[in-house]
Amino acid sequence: MNKFLRTLIPTDIAKGLSITGKHFSQVFFTANRRKVPFHIVSEYPEVPVKVQPRYRGRLTLLKDEQGEIKCVCCLACEKICPTQVITIEKGKKEGRKMPFPVRYDFEMERCIFCEFCVESCGFDSIILNHQFELASYNREDLSLGTEGLGQNMFVPSPVGKFSVADD
Amino acid sequence: MPTPTLTQSIVITLIQCLLVVIFVFVVVPLTVFAERKVLGHLQQRLGSTRVASGHVGVTGWMNRGMWKWGRIPVLSYWRGIPGLLADVLKLILKEDIIPTKADRFVFFLAPSISMVSAVVVFAAISFVPGTFFTFPVWFPFVGGLPVSGGIADINVGLLWILGVATVGVYGIVLAGWSSNSKYPLLGGLRSAAQMVSYEVPLALSLLAPVVLSASLNFGEMSARMATGMPFWALVPQVIGFLLYLTCGFAETNRLPFDMPEAENELVAGFHTEYSGMKFGFFYLAEYINMTVVAALASAFFLGGPWLLPFGLQGLLIPASVPFIGQPHAIFFVAKIVFLLFTYIWVRGTIPRYRYDQIMAVGWKYLIPMALINLLLAAAIRCFAV
Amino acid sequence: MFKNEEMEINLGPQHPSTHGVLRVKLRLDGETVTHCRPMIGYLHRGVEKICENQSFFQGQVWTDRMDYCSAVANNLGWAEANEKLFGITVPRRAHYIRTLLNEFNRIASHLIWLGTHAMDIGALTVFLYAFREREDVLDINEAFCGSRLTTTAFRIGGLREDLPPGFEKMVHKFLAKFSDCLEEYENLLTENRIWKKRTVGVARLNAEDAIALGVTGPMLRAAGVAYDIRKAFPYAAYSEMDFEVPTRTEADTYARYQVRMAEMRQSARIIQQCMDGMPEGPVMAKLPKILRSEVNEVYHATESPKGEIGYYLVGEKGSLNPYRFHVRAPGFINLQSLPKMAEGGLIADVVAAIGSLDIVLGEIDR
Repeated sequence: MNKFLRTLIPTDIAKGLSITGKHFSQVFFTANRRKVPFHIVSEYPEVPVKVQPRYRGRLTLLKDEQGEIKCVCCLACEKICPTQVITIEKGKKEGRKMPFPVRYDFEMERCIFCEFCVESCGFDSIILNHQFELASYNREDLSLGTEGLGQNMFVPSPVGKFSVADD
Repeated sequence: MPTPTLTQSIVITLIQCLLVVIFVFVVVPLTVFAERKVLGHLQQRLGSTRVASGHVGVTGWMNRGMWKWGRIPVLSYWRGIPGLLADVLKLILKEDIIPTKADRFVFFLAPSISMVSAVVVFAAISFVPGTFFTFPVWFPFVGGLPVSGGIADINVGLLWILGVATVGVYGIVLAGWSSNSKYPLLGGLRSAAQMVSYEVPLALSLLAPVVLSASLNFGEMSARMATGMPFWALVPQVIGFLLYLTCGFAETNRLPFDMPEAENELVAGFHTEYSGMKFGFFYLAEYINMTVVAALASAFFLGGPWLLPFGLQGLLIPASVPFIGQPHAIFFVAKIVFLLFTYIWVRGTIPRYRYDQIMAVGWKYLIPMALINLLLAAAIRCFAV
Repeated sequence: MFKNEEMEINLGPQHPSTHGVLRVKLRLDGETVTHCRPMIGYLHRGVEKICENQSFFQGQVWTDRMDYCSAVANNLGWAEANEKLFGITVPRRAHYIRTLLNEFNRIASHLIWLGTHAMDIGALTVFLYAFREREDVLDINEAFCGSRLTTTAFRIGGLREDLPPGFEKMVHKFLAKFSDCLEEYENLLTENRIWKKRTVGVARLNAEDAIALGVTGPMLRAAGVAYDIRKAFPYAAYSEMDFEVPTRTEADTYARYQVRMAEMRQSARIIQQCMDGMPEGPVMAKLPKILRSEVNEVYHATESPKGEIGYYLVGEKGSLNPYRFHVRAPGFINLQSLPKMAEGGLIADVVAAIGSLDIVLGEIDR
C-alpha cells in the first residue's frame, strides 16, 4: 500500500525539485549583492583569482640584492627537466667569480610546470611565480630568455588587457 | 458598436494574427534565454552573462555594461540578452547544408510543417474571452471596432487545437526520413512513436475539463473551469493537471522524455542533418509547442485569465468593477510563464527515461490514470456541480 | 521480401559525454545490443616507453597524466613502488599525509564519476553540484603541492615539504559541509524513481565473471566480493585507520552507485582520522643523491578510486633509468567487462554501463 502511494504521488521528484528550487531562488533573489555570493562561479576576469602560495606558475630567474643573477650554471635544472626545455650556456663575466649564464633559454611551450628545476637548484636562483595567464598570440613569445627576446625571464609575463577591474 | 464590414473583419483578423505572432516570437526567444539563465541559477551558477570576445569593440562595451548591472536586482537577470541576439544571428547567417542524397523537397518542407502547425494552434486559443480592446475612433479604416481575445473562438476549439498540434509529428517523421542517414531516421521514428503514443493520455486528460464544463469552446471551458464551479479548477483536477503536464513534457520531447534527442547517444536525433535556420525552425517549434501546452494547462487547470493565486484578482482590480467577471490577459500570460519555468525546472532536476520505459509509462500507467481521472470528473459533474 | 539485418553503429570516439576518446562498436538488432566491442588507443602517448629513458625521479610527472581525475592516487602507487624497489623506509608523518591526500583525491575522482554518470543518464544539475565540491578538493591539492590537477605531489622517500600553514582549516571547512553535500546528491538521485528505473538491474556483472575478467575496485565490491587492497595488503597509513569497505550484492549499476557514495563517506572518515592522529616528525627519508638501481623487479599495487593500480618496475644494474616501467591500469582491465555487461541490453544501457565503469582514457591508453 505504501509503495502504491509512493508510486502514485511523486514525492521523490518533489524532493529533487525542492533542492534545485532552493538553489534557484537563492541565486535569483540575491543577484551578486552578497559578500560571498550564492553562485559558486566567480566572474573572472572582473573578479581577481586567488592562488595559493605554493602555486606553480612560470619560471622566473632571480637576482640578488646587488642586481646580480644568482644562477651559477650548475646545470642541475637542465638535467632534471623531464621535457628538456631549459638550455644554459656557461660563460664568464668580469667581477664575478662564479660562471655566468650567457644564455638561459626556457621554452614555455613544452614546460609542464612540475617544479623539479626549482627543487634541484641548490642556489635558490629560480622560482615558479604565480602567473597562470600565460597565453600568447604567437609562438615566439613563448620562448623566454634573459635578453633580446620579447619576454624575459626576470619579470612576470605581460598579461593581455582583459580585465575590466583595471578601469 | 457598429458592425464591421467584411474587409474590416479581415483587417481586424490580420491585426490579431500579427499580435499573436508578435506574442509568440517574443515569448519563445525569451524562453530560450530563460532556459539558459534558469538552468544556470539552479545549478548555482549564473547562466549566460557575457557575449563574444570579451573586452574589445562593441561586444566589449556591452560586457562592461553588463558587469556593472550585476548588482542591480532586476537588471542583473538580463545580463546575457545580447547572447540571445547573437544566437539568432548565428542561426540566420549559417551555411545551409543539405546532404547530397537527401530528398530536397521534403527536407525543405519538414521544418516548415513543424513550425506552421505549432503556430497555427494559437488561432483557437483565446487569451481573453469577449473583447480584448477596442480600436480608438481615429484609427484608420478600423477605428471604433472591437478586437476579441481569440482569433477564432470556434465551438470545437479544443478539438481543433488537438488536431492541429498533432500535425507537428509529420514534421519530425519527414525530417528523419528525408535526411537519408541512420541516426536521424532512428531518432525521427522514435520521436514520432513517442509523440503519437502520448497523444492518447493527453486527450483523455483534457476530456475531464470538457466533462466538467460541458463545452468544447476554449473561452467557455476556461471560464467555467475557473469560475463556474463552487471551487477552483485545480481542486478536483490535481491528477488531471499533473497528468496533462506529464503528457505535455512527452509531446514536446523535453526531459524526462527527451531520449529521442538525447545527445549522449544519438547525437541529436531527427534534426542531426539540419543546420542554420532550418534547425532554428525545429528549435523554435519545440518551444512554441511548449508554450501551447502551457497555455492549455493554464487556461483549463490553473484558472486562465480569471484567477490569481489566493484570490488576489480581487485586490488588483479597482473596486468599481464586479469581482468575478473581469478577466485579464496578463494573468493568463503570467501563468504561461510560470509553467514554462516549471518546464525548465524539471529539465534541470530529473534524469531521463529510457525509450522502452517511456512507452511503458505512457501506455501502461498514464492511460489508466487518465481514465480514472475522467471517471472522477464525471462523478463530480454528476453530484457536485 | 523483408530481411532482418543488424545495424552496426559507432559510439564515439568523439562523445558529447565526457568519457574521453573511447570508441565502442555496437551491433544492434532494433534497439537491443547483440555485440559490443570497445576500441581504445586514441589517447596512447607512449608513457611506458618514455619512462624507460627518464630517471626514476622524473617518472612521476608521467603518472599524473594517466588517471588525471585523481593524480595523487597514481603518484602514491608510483612512490611506493619505487620505495619498494630501492628498499627505502618512509617516515610515519609522510605516510599520514600521503593517506590524507590520497583520500581527498578518491573523493575528487568519485565526484567526477558521479557528475558524469548522472549527466549521461540525464540529471544535469548533479554534475555542477559535484564539481562545486571538487573545486574545494582541488584547492587543497593546490595548497599542498602547487598544482590542482597534475600534482606530482610525492617524492621517492617521502614528501617534498610539510603541510602549509592554514591547511587544517581548509580540511575542516571541507569536512564540515561534505556530508550535507552528499545528502544533497542522494536526495536528488537515490530515491528518484527515474534514476532507479535506469540503474536497477542494468548492466549486471556477477562476481564470478568479475573475478574471471580481473575486474577490481567498486565494480567488484558491488558484486559482493569484499576485496580492497587497503585492507588486504595495507600500505601507507591504512593499517592504522579504522574504516569500512562498502559492498553490495546486486552487482548492477545502482549497487555500484551506492558503493561509491558509501566510499566517499568512508574517505571523509579516514581524512578525519588522519588529521586527528597526525604524528610529528620528518617528512623525507635519508636518500643517496643519485638513485641507481640493481637488477630487481617489483610489482606494487594500491587501491586507486577506479580499482587496483599496479606498478611493475624492473631495474638494471647501475642504471639511472628503469629497464621496464609498466602500469597495470584498472580502467584497462575493467573495460574488458563492458561486452559482458552491455550485450543483451538496450543502447541506453550501454551508456549507463560505461558510466558505472568509471573509466578514464588517460590510464587505459597511457
